[in-house]
Amino acid sequence: MGNFLKSTKCKIILCILALLIGIMIYAVSQGGYTISSIGIFKSIAAPFQRASNAISEQVEHVLELYVNADDCYRENQALKEEIAILHAELADYEATKDELAELKEFVGIKEKHKDFTLTSPFDVVGYVTNDPYGTFMINGGTEHGVELYAPVVTEQGMVGIITEVGDETATVTTILSPEVFISAGSSTLRETGVVTGSVALLKYGYCKLDYLDKETRLRKGQAIVTTGENGHFPKGYIIGYVQEIEQDAAGMTAYATVDPAVDLSNLSKVVVIADFEGKEERDEAR
Amino acid sequence: MKRGSIKQERRKYIFLQMVQWTVFSLLILGAFLLATSGSFLKPMLLIPLALCISSHTGEIQATAVGMISGLLMDITCGKLLGYNAIWMVVSCVAVSLLYTYILRQKLLNILILTAACVLVQGYLDYLFYYAIWGYEDVVQIYTRTILPSSCLTLVSVLLFYVPLKWIAEKCGSHRVQELEKTIISAYRD
Repeated sequence: MGNFLKSTKCKIILCILALLIGIMIYAVSQGGYTISSIGIFKSIAAPFQRASNAISEQVEHVLELYVNADDCYRENQALKEEIAILHAELADYEATKDELAELKEFVGIKEKHKDFTLTSPFDVVGYVTNDPYGTFMINGGTEHGVELYAPVVTEQGMVGIITEVGDETATVTTILSPEVFISAGSSTLRETGVVTGSVALLKYGYCKLDYLDKETRLRKGQAIVTTGENGHFPKGYIIGYVQEIEQDAAGMTAYATVDPAVDLSNLSKVVVIADFEGKEERDEAR
Repeated sequence: MKRGSIKQERRKYIFLQMVQWTVFSLLILGAFLLATSGSFLKPMLLIPLALCISSHTGEIQATAVGMISGLLMDITCGKLLGYNAIWMVVSCVAVSLLYTYILRQKLLNILILTAACVLVQGYLDYLFYYAIWGYEDVVQIYTRTILPSSCLTLVSVLLFYVPLKWIAEKCGSHRVQELEKTIISAYRD
């Protein structure tokens, strides 16, 4: 072992370690942490990431088939004849219809909120491994009009915000993260507070509406929407539904557990709100 | 004749080394792909894989394996680039040195080493990415996400240990011994 410490091998290993530390410091100095936001690496990694995601989708699909083999087999038998006939004539039609339906959902957002400027829908290219908050990556970046801290939504409701952005990809932190704070309240906006993630509620997939009056009149099932204060989020966009009302540990305020309107663990497409009424307030504050 | 057989053995050895490293690379790629798929809790297969490979290789190869798998972990886990790579290089070199000078190829040895590596990596992760922010009930992230994932990672050593040992024996150390024998017999003649 003593010889190893004096050997050339040891010096090479130390050089590699120094190189890695250098990469880490460079990453920090670039203002981003992950590969998606570091200039040199993002262009190298982008095609690699796209390829790996395409393959991993296939792998996932194959694994799913094995896990649900029995169910799949039964379902397959029942639908085999029907599928055989339909596939022949409807293959193109179905694909187009699905795509259209997906796009229609996002058009629905525009119809309901005329002041929004939406980006085109982005694919969720992958979830961050073992991230408790369900952070994920999308295939849209600054080149597609995505900005840092822009709200990310689906037609069902609020998903989260952009926390890192590269040219072609961006990282979305969901509303389950304690790092995200959204000014929100009941749909009548009589009861307002701040929606944020809570580690204790992660196991249920809920977030919480904090800082409510302890005599709050919020009830289970009521919709929670954004208030649009400070211009960080648009006004009146649905976040989720009240599950329970609890008193704060100190007894000064109450909080509501909120079930997000969107299934955050199973997203395939999202859209970024590039501009909305009141956004100037945020830009000015910056 | 003897010189010819040495050349043949050497060619065989190089070919088998190429096969061995191709298999190792494919396994690393497979583990990376699995890590990028789905939002469910899963083991970090790259850790036991890199450590098992390092237990059969020299220090320089272990460094390369540690660096590549660490950088891949940084990409899949959305961590600061180089953060996992540094720890994986240190772990893989340590494993390689321990197997060269002290340890024998036993399942228990690699289990203990993987447990140590995974626990330290998990704890550093918890410390730098969660505990440092002081969120309420933050310890639940350790008990509900990091610890179960670490346990799954430790169990997954069983997936790699036997196949990697078999590949390394068929393509690596066993072949070196054969090559040495051929050279010695050629030298004697």
